Amino acid sequence: MDIIKKTNIDFIGKRKAAYVFSLVIILAGLVFFSMRGRQNFGVDFVGGEMMNIEFSTGTDVSEIRDILGNLNIGYYSVQELGENGKSFIIKSGFGTIEKILGEFGSRYGSESFTIKGQSQVSPSMSTTLRNKALFAFIAGMIGILLYITIRFEFRFAVGATLAIFHDMLFVLAILAITRKQIDATVIAAFLTIAGFSVNDTVVIFDRIRENIRKHRGDDYTAVFNNSINETLSRTILTGLSTIVVVLCLFFLGGETLHVFSLSLLIGFIIGTYSSVFIATSILIDWHKVQPHKFNV
Amino acid sequence: MMRQYYYKILVIIGVIVLFTFQFYPPGKKIKRGLDLQGGLHVVLEVADARTDDKSLSDITDRALEIIRNRIDALGVAEPVIQKDGIDRIIVDLPGVGDPDKAIEIIGQTALLEFRLVSDDAELMNKAVSGDVPEGYQLLYHKEKDERGILRDTQPLLVKIEPEMTGKYIKDAYLGYDNSGFPDVNLELDNEGAALFEKVTGENVNRQLAIVLDGVVRSAPVIRERIGGGRANITGKFSVEEARNLAIVLRAGALPAKVDMIYREVVGPTLGRSNITQGLRAALYGAIFVVLFMAVYYSVFGLLANFAMAMNLLILLGFMATIKGVLTLPGIAGIALTCGMAVDANVLIYERIREELRAGKSPRASIDAGYKRAWTAIIDSNLTTIIVGIILFLLGEGAIKGFGLTLSIGIVANLFTAVFVTKAIVDLVITTRKIEKLRI
Repeated sequence: MDIIKKTNIDFIGKRKAAYVFSLVIILAGLVFFSMRGRQNFGVDFVGGEMMNIEFSTGTDVSEIRDILGNLNIGYYSVQELGENGKSFIIKSGFGTIEKILGEFGSRYGSESFTIKGQSQVSPSMSTTLRNKALFAFIAGMIGILLYITIRFEFRFAVGATLAIFHDMLFVLAILAITRKQIDATVIAAFLTIAGFSVNDTVVIFDRIRENIRKHRGDDYTAVFNNSINETLSRTILTGLSTIVVVLCLFFLGGETLHVFSLSLLIGFIIGTYSSVFIATSILIDWHKVQPHKFNV
Repeated sequence: MMRQYYYKILVIIGVIVLFTFQFYPPGKKIKRGLDLQGGLHVVLEVADARTDDKSLSDITDRALEIIRNRIDALGVAEPVIQKDGIDRIIVDLPGVGDPDKAIEIIGQTALLEFRLVSDDAELMNKAVSGDVPEGYQLLYHKEKDERGILRDTQPLLVKIEPEMTGKYIKDAYLGYDNSGFPDVNLELDNEGAALFEKVTGENVNRQLAIVLDGVVRSAPVIRERIGGGRANITGKFSVEEARNLAIVLRAGALPAKVDMIYREVVGPTLGRSNITQGLRAALYGAIFVVLFMAVYYSVFGLLANFAMAMNLLILLGFMATIKGVLTLPGIAGIALTCGMAVDANVLIYERIREELRAGKSPRASIDAGYKRAWTAIIDSNLTTIIVGIILFLLGEGAIKGFGLTLSIGIVANLFTAVFVTKAIVDLVITTRKIEKLRI
């Protein structure tokens, strides 16, 4: 079977539209992000308590919210799992869990609920986790930048790294707009997306490298377009098969993996898109502003 | 030429046998992380502002040993207790049955003091009205009410300077008092026994408060001089509480205040549902990829699937060998590895198709396909493994597990996609004359 035949699409010519699309989403996301403040982050990164609690008899979200609201514990949020009014994820400030459980105990009886999972992160620990995640991210970026500079050249490394930043910001934007929270697993997702995106980009760069060596010309727009078209069948096949795997994780992986797999899903779609439209286009525009002979 | 191919096939079979042996049976060989089997993960921070880094680090070491003793007394399988930096202690208790109890026992400072209670009624009245005399402290005798909550009862005026502390305790265990209520029996060392004899001898008929972490747990009246180094702590304990207190006293007091700055508890049911859901998702993802490859590339698709299965086997076998911990994001990492395992083959096969379209013979197309796809495969996989290794080195918990599976998966991927499939294809096209490739 061979669905994707040889194509001849002018991807580079459509880059302006791609820039506009990406910028609109990212800017919208940043607006949402700055409006939400600390709500953007899970307890891992701002500190606080999170528990997964299950009641033996049904109650409902608004009742739980009322109870928490009357406790004077400051910030809290309640999210229902499933639809039977029994399972909830409750997030609140650090050191408030005893008070909440005490209130639940006197309201519903201490035998009427079980804590299925719980995490409690102090502000000092959340700072550590935040710094570690940031450090891991920066270290990863530098590693990628170095590797591509060695194997290709510096401009390619910049193109690939900017494409990764684009993907991160895009996913961040969608998470902010859909009101999801960033926790440690989302950082793992971000780094995977970085890996996937750069993988995709490198395959296209590899073909560009091959074609530049073959043609030795300087009509880079044509060389880039040809390279993208020649690798397009692989880009689509790999993109689709990994996206289907992530779709399975998203729909079947359960609540713990929900935000993780959602991030991967958006990230893989956007990672594929950015390899085709962003990473290469940046190199062309850079060349137009500041002509350069690619030496790969 | 042929011998070289058979030799490669032998290597492949050897690898399969080795890794199957390594990871079978999976239930026993693969260690599951906290998120997959339930349990407790806490990070403790020693709070002692008085000291410099060096002595803070020493205090942390001592606290770690004490916490290790307490946990050993709890009887948890495979606890991990390690120091993080100079002032933090990480405790992992996978599969712990009662996380609340473990948290309580780990965190208790357990500063046990025996302090004299003032018998001057006038001083006492003044203290209650707010005028506490020098050298004394108003402490409350806390008792549990019927709902199990500690409540303040009558106040006691006790000396700030303890007569004796818990450091002379040789042993502590659960016992029962004359009325059959649980209490804690203490055995003191020689020095402690002498001290206790002196204190009790000098203060007959006075109350001696037993103060644990600043709370009066019991304030018995000294009836007579007590020699021999044996004492009891009574205080309306349940059997469970008395036993826990004995554990804490036996293991010794923490050398400083210790704050719990991170705590993660996963109940066993959540752990079970995480593992079933995670595995099911990974399974369906893998089934889709397998079917897709078989349909899209026919015989070569089956070959890619074989490579993917072998990839999975190496990954799990390697995890078992290095005793790596499988976490939920780790399962996601395995699913992704499957997706990326086929990518290398897609790169090769698409390249072979290109060469065929350019009019090359099947044999030449296969050689060119593998050769030309190689740079793309190595560069794309190595950039991804950079991310995997960094996650493993710098990440914690679940993220570390994810980085581990991703990195091993990529190494296995390079081996199966390039070495294994090439060896099999070479063997087939050398032994049989191929007119037309079914790809």
